[in-house]
Amino acid sequence: MAKARAIIKRLKAVKNIRKITRTMELIATGRFKRAMDRATEAAEYTRKINEIVADLSQANLTLSHPLLQAHDQEHKSVLLVVTSNRGLCGGYNAGVLRRAQQRIREVAETDQSLSLEVAGKRGIKYLTFTGQDIAHKYTHFEDKPAFDEVDELASRYIADYVAGHIDRLDVAYMRFESSSRQEPALETLLPIGQLADKGSGDEAEAAGSVDYEFLPSAGEILEEIVPAAFKARLFKCFLDAAVSEQIFRMVAMKGATENADEMIGSLSQQYNRARQAQITGELAEIIGGVAALE
Amino acid sequence: MATTTTEQKTGRITQVIGSTFDAEFAEENLPEIYNALIVDQDIKGTSFKVTGEVQQHLGGGRVRCVALGSTDGLIRGAEVIDTGSPVSVPVGKGTLGRVFNVLGDAIDGRGPVEHEDRWPIHRHPPKLENLSSKTELFETGIKVVDLLTPFVRGGKAGLFGGAGLGKTVILTELIARIASAHGGFSVFSGVGERTREGNDLWLEMQETKIGQTDRSVIEQTCMVFGQMNEPPGARLRVALAALTMAEWFRDTTGTDTLLFVDNIFRFSQAGSEVSALLGRMPSAVGYQPTLGTELGELQERITSTDSGAITSVQAVYVPADDPTDPAPATAFSHLDAFIYLERRIAEKGIYPAIDPLASSSRILDPQYVGDKHYAVARRVQQTLQRYRELQDIIAILGVDELSEEDKMVVHRARRIERFLSQPFLVAEVFTGKAGKITPIAETIRSFEEICDGKWDHLPEAAFMYVGVIEEAEEQAKQMEANA
Repeated sequence: MAKARAIIKRLKAVKNIRKITRTMELIATGRFKRAMDRATEAAEYTRKINEIVADLSQANLTLSHPLLQAHDQEHKSVLLVVTSNRGLCGGYNAGVLRRAQQRIREVAETDQSLSLEVAGKRGIKYLTFTGQDIAHKYTHFEDKPAFDEVDELASRYIADYVAGHIDRLDVAYMRFESSSRQEPALETLLPIGQLADKGSGDEAEAAGSVDYEFLPSAGEILEEIVPAAFKARLFKCFLDAAVSEQIFRMVAMKGATENADEMIGSLSQQYNRARQAQITGELAEIIGGVAALE
Repeated sequence: MATTTTEQKTGRITQVIGSTFDAEFAEENLPEIYNALIVDQDIKGTSFKVTGEVQQHLGGGRVRCVALGSTDGLIRGAEVIDTGSPVSVPVGKGTLGRVFNVLGDAIDGRGPVEHEDRWPIHRHPPKLENLSSKTELFETGIKVVDLLTPFVRGGKAGLFGGAGLGKTVILTELIARIASAHGGFSVFSGVGERTREGNDLWLEMQETKIGQTDRSVIEQTCMVFGQMNEPPGARLRVALAALTMAEWFRDTTGTDTLLFVDNIFRFSQAGSEVSALLGRMPSAVGYQPTLGTELGELQERITSTDSGAITSVQAVYVPADDPTDPAPATAFSHLDAFIYLERRIAEKGIYPAIDPLASSSRILDPQYVGDKHYAVARRVQQTLQRYRELQDIIAILGVDELSEEDKMVVHRARRIERFLSQPFLVAEVFTGKAGKITPIAETIRSFEEICDGKWDHLPEAAFMYVGVIEEAEEQAKQMEANA
C-alpha cells in the first residue's frame, strides 16, 4: 500500500494547489476589469496632453522648459523598475526584469552612475539577489496605484532633474497594448523632449496646421503643462503595469489550473492502478495459498 | 560423472512433475539432501541423461528432486543412481578461458578440462573469524558510480533495474573496465539471461586484451552459463557453480577474484518456479517461502577472507519497476553498493540511467572516501533532491514562479543530471563516441565546480556524454561552431 498512499498524498497536494490557482484566476479576472477601465481612461488623457505638448513645442520653438532639454552629458541616470508585489503571475516580473537588466548592463558599460529604484517586492527580491544596490524601494503600489502616490515620486524627479542631480530617467514596466498583448518596455521619461517627439509624431503633424492662440502666454502654459504631461506619463506606466499584472496572472493561473487538472488526472489513474494491482496481488496470493494447501 | 561410490545405490523414479521428480530408494540407501542423482539409460531407444538434486525426504525411502536438465521423456520406473555427493564442478587454473554449464561440463567445444580438483557446489560460507575487515575503495572510472556509489574492494555491488534500462550494458562495461585492468581472475555467471548475450560476451572477451599485455581477457576468466532456455533447476544452481570456481581462486591462489552475476533475480525466480512443484506454500507475491534463506546461502559465500577477496558485481532485475518486490528487496540487504536504474532517467536519454538519489553505498562516508568526496557527493544529492521536490511546482506553475535561489538550484541540477551521463567503452559502436575513463579525483573536482557555479554559462546539452568538465566546455564550443 506504500505506493498508493504516496500517490494519494501527492494528489491531495495538487488538488490544494489547484484550488489556489483557480481562486487566483477568478480574483485576477475581477481586478483586471477595474484596472483596465482606469488604464484606458488615463491613456486618453495622456495622449491628449502629449499632443498639446508636441503642438506647443512646434508652435513656439523659441520657448523652452528645463524638462524638455536634454542635459549636455549624461552622468547620472535613474532606472525605475515597476514590478509586482505578489507572485503567481507567470512571466510578468521576469519579462520586466530582463528589460531592466539590459539597461543596467548598458549603463555599466559606460562610466555613468545608475541609481536604481524599484517598485514591487518581486523586483526588489530579484535585484537584491543579483547584488544590485537599490536606492529606493517602493512596496505600496498595489493593483490600484493612486495619482497622489505617483505625484510624489514625479515631483521629486522633476526637482532633481531641474536641479541637475539626475540627467535621465528610464522606466522599465510592462506596457499594456491590448488585453491580448502586453510587452516589457523601457521608456525614457526625462528629458521629456524625446518623448514628445516620438510619442506623438504623427499626431503633431496632423495638428500642426491648427493655429493656437495662447493666453496669457505660451511660456506660462508650457510651465504648467510640461510637468503635468510628465506626471501623466509616469502615472500611465503604473496603471499599465497594474493592468498587465492582472492579465498575466489570469493567463498564468488559467494555465496552472489546467496543468493541475492534468496532473490530478494522471495521478488518479496511477492511484487506481496501484490499488487494483494490490488487490489483484492479494487475491492471487490467497488463491495460490489455498491451492497449495489442497 | 566423475564421482562414483564403490557400491552404487540405485532407486526408481516414481513420479515426474514438471522439472521435479520423485525417486524411491531402499530405506537404508536413502540419499542425503543435495546429493546428485543421475538417470543415465536408454529410454525407448534414445540415450537419456539427466542429473537431479535431492531437495526433500518424503518418507518411506522416497526423495523429491529438482532436475538440473530437461525432464522431457523421463519415465516412471527409470533407474536412478545416487552419486553420494552433491553436484561438483571442476576448479583450478585449467578452468580459465573455458565456458561451463551448471554440471561443470565444458560447453565451448574445446575438449576436456584439465582440472586440479572437483569441488561440490554446496559449501559452507567462510567462518566469521576468517572474514576480511579491510574496506577500500574500488575505482571504476564511471563518474556517477565513483562519486555516489563507490564500490568496495572485496565487496558486493548490485545493479538494480527494470526491463531494458541497461543492467547488462553496465555490467559488461564494468567487465571491460575492471577485468581488463585487473591482474587477478574473473568468473562470469550468466543466470537465466539471454543466451546471445553470453555468446557476445564470450567472443568479446577473446578480443579484448588485458591492459598492455598481449593476453586476452578470456585467458583470466571462466564463464558459467545457465540461461533462459534451461530448466529452473539449472538456473537455480548455476550461480553456485560459478561461485564455487571463484572460491577456489580465492582460497587457493589468494588473488583478488572478480565475480560477475547476471542476473541474480533469475536465481530467485527459478527457486520460485520449483518451489510450488516441491509442494511448498507460496509466500508474498507468490515467491517461495525460503526466498531469504536461498539467497542468503548464496550471498554469504560471496565474501572476502584473510586469504583472498571476491569482488562481486551482480545485476538484479526489478519486476515492474517495483523495488519493494520481495526478490530485489531481499537481494538489497546483502550488498555494499547499491545502484538503482531509473526509467525516468533512461527516458531522458541519459545513460547510465543511474538514479543518484536512490543509489547508495556503504562506504560513502568521510571515514572511507575522505571529507571532500563525501561533501561533494552530498552537495550533488542535495541539489538533485531539491530539484525533484520542485518538479511538481514547475509542472503546475512554471519555472518563473520559483524564487531566485530555487531557479539556481534547478539550473545546476539540470546540468548535474546531464553530467552524470558518460560514454561507455562497450557502447562505442552505438554512440559513436569513445568511452571515457574518468579518474576519481577529476570526477570530484568536476562536480564541485558545477556546484560552485563555475560552469553555469555552458548550455545544458554540452554536459551530455563527456568525461571531465573541460570536455563539456569543449563540446559547448563545438556546438556553437556548428550552430
